[in-house]
Amino acid sequence: MVPVQWYLLLAAAVFCIGLFGILTRRNALLFLMSVELMLNAANINLVAFSAYWGNVTGQTFSLFTMALAAAEVAVGIGIILVLYRNFGDIDVTLAKEMRW
Amino acid sequence: MAAFDYAPAIVLLPFVSFLVALAGGRYLPKGGAFGGIAATAGSLLLSAWVFLTVSDGNAYNETLYTWAAGVGEGTTTLTFGLLLDPLAAMMLLIVSLVSLLVHVFSLGYMNDEGETGLPRYYAGLGLFTASMLGFVVADNLLMAFMFFELVGLCSYLLIGFWFRQEGPPSAAKKAFLVTRFGDYFFLVGVVAVFATFGTAKFAGEGSFPVLAEEALRGGTEVSTFGFAPETWFTIVGLLILGGVIGKSAQFPLHTWLPDAMEGPTPVSALIHAATMVAAGVYLVARMYGFYALSPTALGIIALVGGFTALVAATMGVVKREIKQVLAYSTISQYGYMMLGLGAGGYVAATFHLLTHAFFKALLFLGAGAVIIAMHHDEDMWNMGGLKDRMPVTYYTFLSGSLALAGIVPFAGFWSKDEVLYEALVHGLAGSPLLLAGYAMGLVAVFFTGFYTFRMVFLTFHGEPRTDVARDPHGVRWNVKGPLVVLGILAATIGFVNMVPVQDLTGIHLEFLHDWLAHGEISALTAEHYGELLHDFAGYSAADVASYVAGAVSLALALAGAGAAHVLYNVPDPDEHTEKLGAVKTLWYNNYYQDEYQVWLAQSVVLPVARLADKFDQGVIDGVVNGVSSVSLFAGSRIRRVQTGDVTNYAVLLTLGLTALLVVFGLMGGWFA
Repeated sequence: MVPVQWYLLLAAAVFCIGLFGILTRRNALLFLMSVELMLNAANINLVAFSAYWGNVTGQTFSLFTMALAAAEVAVGIGIILVLYRNFGDIDVTLAKEMRW
Repeated sequence: MAAFDYAPAIVLLPFVSFLVALAGGRYLPKGGAFGGIAATAGSLLLSAWVFLTVSDGNAYNETLYTWAAGVGEGTTTLTFGLLLDPLAAMMLLIVSLVSLLVHVFSLGYMNDEGETGLPRYYAGLGLFTASMLGFVVADNLLMAFMFFELVGLCSYLLIGFWFRQEGPPSAAKKAFLVTRFGDYFFLVGVVAVFATFGTAKFAGEGSFPVLAEEALRGGTEVSTFGFAPETWFTIVGLLILGGVIGKSAQFPLHTWLPDAMEGPTPVSALIHAATMVAAGVYLVARMYGFYALSPTALGIIALVGGFTALVAATMGVVKREIKQVLAYSTISQYGYMMLGLGAGGYVAATFHLLTHAFFKALLFLGAGAVIIAMHHDEDMWNMGGLKDRMPVTYYTFLSGSLALAGIVPFAGFWSKDEVLYEALVHGLAGSPLLLAGYAMGLVAVFFTGFYTFRMVFLTFHGEPRTDVARDPHGVRWNVKGPLVVLGILAATIGFVNMVPVQDLTGIHLEFLHDWLAHGEISALTAEHYGELLHDFAGYSAADVASYVAGAVSLALALAGAGAAHVLYNVPDPDEHTEKLGAVKTLWYNNYYQDEYQVWLAQSVVLPVARLADKFDQGVIDGVVNGVSSVSLFAGSRIRRVQTGDVTNYAVLLTLGLTALLVVFGLMGGWFA
């Protein structure tokens, strides 16, 4: 059995990759992908601890998270479509109207 | 007492007519006039019923509605209630009768002259009458104050009735502001009464005049804020007197009244005879039990009254407009009433209030008839010779003039004579202040006779001086009717109280004395006031025969009237007052009181107000603005965090999360 630390390290790595994507990319689609990565990093943690404790609650929650991620993608794609319609591009730094 | 159950309707009927005229006046015939006539006629009938019930020795003093109940110890309860005693019953009759006649007269003065805005006019009259009646029946000082203010509001609305012209709105504002200045002191006085006695009821157990009397006798304790009770009661009385001086147009707050002539003439009649101006004097009479405790306040009332009587009478001598002469005569006559009250002549002053209400309403309505006839020209020098062309107006106006001048046997003679007599006997018994008031009142009698008959002769006698006066506009029954009623009253109402005749002949002729001397509420009777005056104010009466004093004032009045006859009862009179030179200019300009008050406002009040404004704008607002500008500045800087760039938000979120983790780590000792 693989010790739980490796799972955690994997999850941390995936999360950081997602975070890196969000902080550096300007493409909204890449944003969406990065968010997916971060969500799945959390999922890995949930499943890993679930297996570690022999309790299925964590796995159940990871299923919920997946459903949530699907919904989030639907909304996100919608937002990106509107972004494209209004700015002719999907560069997130263009949409700066809502500010001081 | 069934009459007392219906008494609230006396006030409510004119109020309903106000609502009706306001809401539906334009759909009603005559602009809602009939509603007002019906309502005031109803009030008059109910008042007469109340009068009869009161004359059987009943009185009514009940709280009808509590609109703010005090909870716990040391709080006060604010109420509305009715106080119906002989004085109130008499005043109700006067107000509702004069108001009814003014409504009828308005048919001729407003409707027949094709005025517009009549619903507004009749609504104003209704509310005016209702407020005055409410003031008359008020059973406590706060309620009286509220209706006092309503009366002031109505006078503002009605004086400024022709608001499209230049004069009336400014006169209305002046009337409102000047009386308001006095009312300010009145309001402070009301609060002082509440703070001192915890109640403002006029009569009954624990009412404030009773409490004040007991406090002076040493029976009860009231909080007098560190003053001796006598001093404090004088201060409170003088504060309330501020409102009286404003409303009753006494010196130095009389300046609004002559300007108020800008309003329609029937309104002038109402203001001068029965409402508004009468309210001030009535208030002093209403709480006479309180004033009688303070010789200082009484002395000031008497002196202000006598001075006003004289000063106003001199100004009336030189005026050109008929209504201006009447305006100054009103100020002067109310001066007499104040003199009477201050001199301890409660009955005399009330008597003069009664007779004056009728003869002054008569004179104003007569002047109104003349103004209709002259196509709204009020300058007496354009009149002349009207007596043959409008005999009804002439003879009724003459009746009113004889009453005003104080010629025997017309009403004004008896009442004015009694006022002067009271001032004389109480003054001779050791009060130089009252003697000074008497002297001024006596000199004013001569001027009154002179200006009254100067007015009569210039208006009605001699040759017509203009084409309009040669062929005046006719007046109808609705003008003549009220004039005849009031003309008869002005000639005869003096019979209710002919003390000199009684002293001479022994016939019992002092019904008003009897009426006011007794009553169910013993603290509100003239008898009780007499005791108070004797015990607290130290008034005693010297022995002077009433007919001697009467003869002196009659001789002066006749001298004044005779002088007017010699100078002005000629076919083509000259303006003899021109010979007075500088004095005429002084009188014609009202002793420069208006200029003086404007100067006072501009050179004293305005700089003070500017200073206060500077303090307000600079210091108070400065602090507030300083605080807000700090947060404004901070906000304008901090808001720049909101760049609108998603990446920035992500960075900040990440940094925040990292910072939290570091803090938790340090606190939790992970790195230790």
